[in-house]
Amino acid sequence: MIVPLGHVLIVAAILFVMGLACVIARRQLIMILIGIEVMINAAGLVLVAASGYWQQLDGQVFVVFLMALTSAEVAISLAMVVYLRRLRGTVVADEFDRMNG
Amino acid sequence: MSETLLFLIPLLPLFCAVAIMLFGMRLPRLFAEVLAVTGVAGAFLLTLLLWPYADGEGTRAVLFTWLNSGSLDISFAVHFDRLAAPMTLMVSGVATLIHLYAVGYMHQDRDYARFFSLLNLFVFAMLVIVLADNLLVLFLGWEGVGLCSYGLIGFWYRKLDNARAGTKAFLVTRVGDVFLGIALMWLFALTGTLSISAINAQAATIPSGVTLVLCLLLLLGACGKSAQLPLMTWLADAMAGPTPVSALIHAATMVTAGVYLLCRLFPLISLSAVGMAAITAVGALTALYAATCAMAQREIKRVLAYSTMSQVGYMFMAVGAGTVTGAMFHLLTHAFFKALLFMGAGCVIHLAGDENDIYKMGGMARRGPGELVWVFLAGAISLAGVPLTSGFFSKDNVLLMVYTHPDPLYKIFWGVGVLAALLTAFYTFRLVYLVFAGDYRGSGTAHALPLLMRWPLWVLALLALVGGSLNLPALVGGHERLQHWLGDLAGRPVTVDHHLEWLLVGLAVVLVVLGWGVAHWRYARFRNAWDNPLSRFLLRGWQADAVVDRVLVRPFQAMALFCWAGIDRALIDATVVGMSTRMLSLSMLLRRLTTGRLSSYLAAFAWGFLLILGWLLLQLVQGGGHA
Repeated sequence: MIVPLGHVLIVAAILFVMGLACVIARRQLIMILIGIEVMINAAGLVLVAASGYWQQLDGQVFVVFLMALTSAEVAISLAMVVYLRRLRGTVVADEFDRMNG
Repeated sequence: MSETLLFLIPLLPLFCAVAIMLFGMRLPRLFAEVLAVTGVAGAFLLTLLLWPYADGEGTRAVLFTWLNSGSLDISFAVHFDRLAAPMTLMVSGVATLIHLYAVGYMHQDRDYARFFSLLNLFVFAMLVIVLADNLLVLFLGWEGVGLCSYGLIGFWYRKLDNARAGTKAFLVTRVGDVFLGIALMWLFALTGTLSISAINAQAATIPSGVTLVLCLLLLLGACGKSAQLPLMTWLADAMAGPTPVSALIHAATMVTAGVYLLCRLFPLISLSAVGMAAITAVGALTALYAATCAMAQREIKRVLAYSTMSQVGYMFMAVGAGTVTGAMFHLLTHAFFKALLFMGAGCVIHLAGDENDIYKMGGMARRGPGELVWVFLAGAISLAGVPLTSGFFSKDNVLLMVYTHPDPLYKIFWGVGVLAALLTAFYTFRLVYLVFAGDYRGSGTAHALPLLMRWPLWVLALLALVGGSLNLPALVGGHERLQHWLGDLAGRPVTVDHHLEWLLVGLAVVLVVLGWGVAHWRYARFRNAWDNPLSRFLLRGWQADAVVDRVLVRPFQAMALFCWAGIDRALIDATVVGMSTRMLSLSMLLRRLTTGRLSSYLAAFAWGFLLILGWLLLQLVQGGGHA
């Protein structure tokens, strides 16, 4: 393996924290979705790296599944964002607080 | 003819009561009335027919076994003996006359079925008391007459006062019944039986201290039913009922049940000298108390109610002085003249257009049949104790027996009784003068008197005048028939020399003349009622109701209020409700966590993730430390 596992893990961790920060800090639904994508890809990076490190294919198979899942998720959530934008004229997450207690 | 026929005496009125209860409103009115009168008249005729059974030791008949458990063996049995027979005859006879009178009195009332069924049921219960062979059956009748009395006092229940009077009578007599119940249970615990004759036979084996307490318990029980001090407050209010009810229940029969009970258990109570003195004291004090109250009453029926209390007080004195004859004699004559007076009062009230106030009457004889004044007067002179009437002989007998009692304490009771006799003469003639003398002062329109309301009075008037022959003293050549009839049940015989007897008779005559004289001076020509604190005090029965209210009702209400407001609401409710309120406000706080905003959920999610991560790190560090 060309790149040491530790480096990959550090990059993945940085990616994950950036995604998390994006999810928490931003108020736009689209930005939150992008943050989630980044976090999922950070997890995928770890899986690929682990697959290379232990010379097992399982991790890479898992990443393929992850991609399929991500694309499905994006398709549905973007459709919902469009719908919400039509319905309420906004995509700011905190505007949708009608399920408060 | 067998002795089982004795059961027909009480069961006939019961049968008629049930029949009227079930079918009274569906049958023609006349049929219900005839049925009601037939029930009691049949009982009266049967008593006459079966009279020979009372002779000797009496006859005991068992219908069926009611309770049988261990040593407790109570059968539904009657004991028709020398004491029960005259009482049965009086109850059924007077009840027959009053039923006839009631048919006339109630002829416009629409609830005749309820009235006559209750009246017949009352006669049944009263006869059960009289004929009962054991105390539990007696208690059954005892409660039965209380129930019927309650239903009949509040007969016109649409007026709240009447219903209240019924409730009051029921509750106050119930106080006495509790004591009677205790006495019954104690007697059973002591003797292992409730049969009256067995208890009387074993009475001598009971320790004397216990006898005294039993005597006082029985006295209190009798006080409740017979409206004696201190349980007398209900009788005056009981006059809210229809007049035939007052005549039957609250003059002739039920209020004398207490006296009859004491006579039945006389062998037991006569063993306690202190108890006997207590009975005499209660009787004497009630006689005086009620006589003073009767002097100031304005309502005709209340005058008679207080005089009933007073006369029953004389009967108690007689029992206390040790003479069952004296008590029964006065009981019988009183039943005649007091029923007569009440029925006469009913006629007078009819003529005055349902007016009760004697100050708004006067000259009543000219407003109705002229003979009314004579029959009423016959009852009145009997009550006042005018010589040769029945009341004269019976009351004189009582006072004589109290006077001749060896205990010097009884001289005081005799003095009280004499004073009460003077007051009796006064208030009786006051009543007669206010009702019949002068001109009519009211404004009511007279109702016509049906014939049925007039001729039963004649029969009773005759009995009131000649009833003294039941037990005419030897002094005037009589044979003391009742004394001889009762035999060994009669108690102490009269043993005095005739000089003393004549002296007491002379005193009685002086008292009557004095009472009449004062009443004549004050009331022969109408003047308005005295209105001073004393008369108001007497009018309200010595403020007895206010005293009971202060001593019993208010503390009880205060206690109930404390239990409700202090314990139930302030303690129990406050704890439970307080806890639930706290829980509610706590959950209202927690509810704010659910903001519905995505960002806060995500932040919580992140913080939770960090927390788990930190915990994992901690585990790692610790695991590394171990390694």
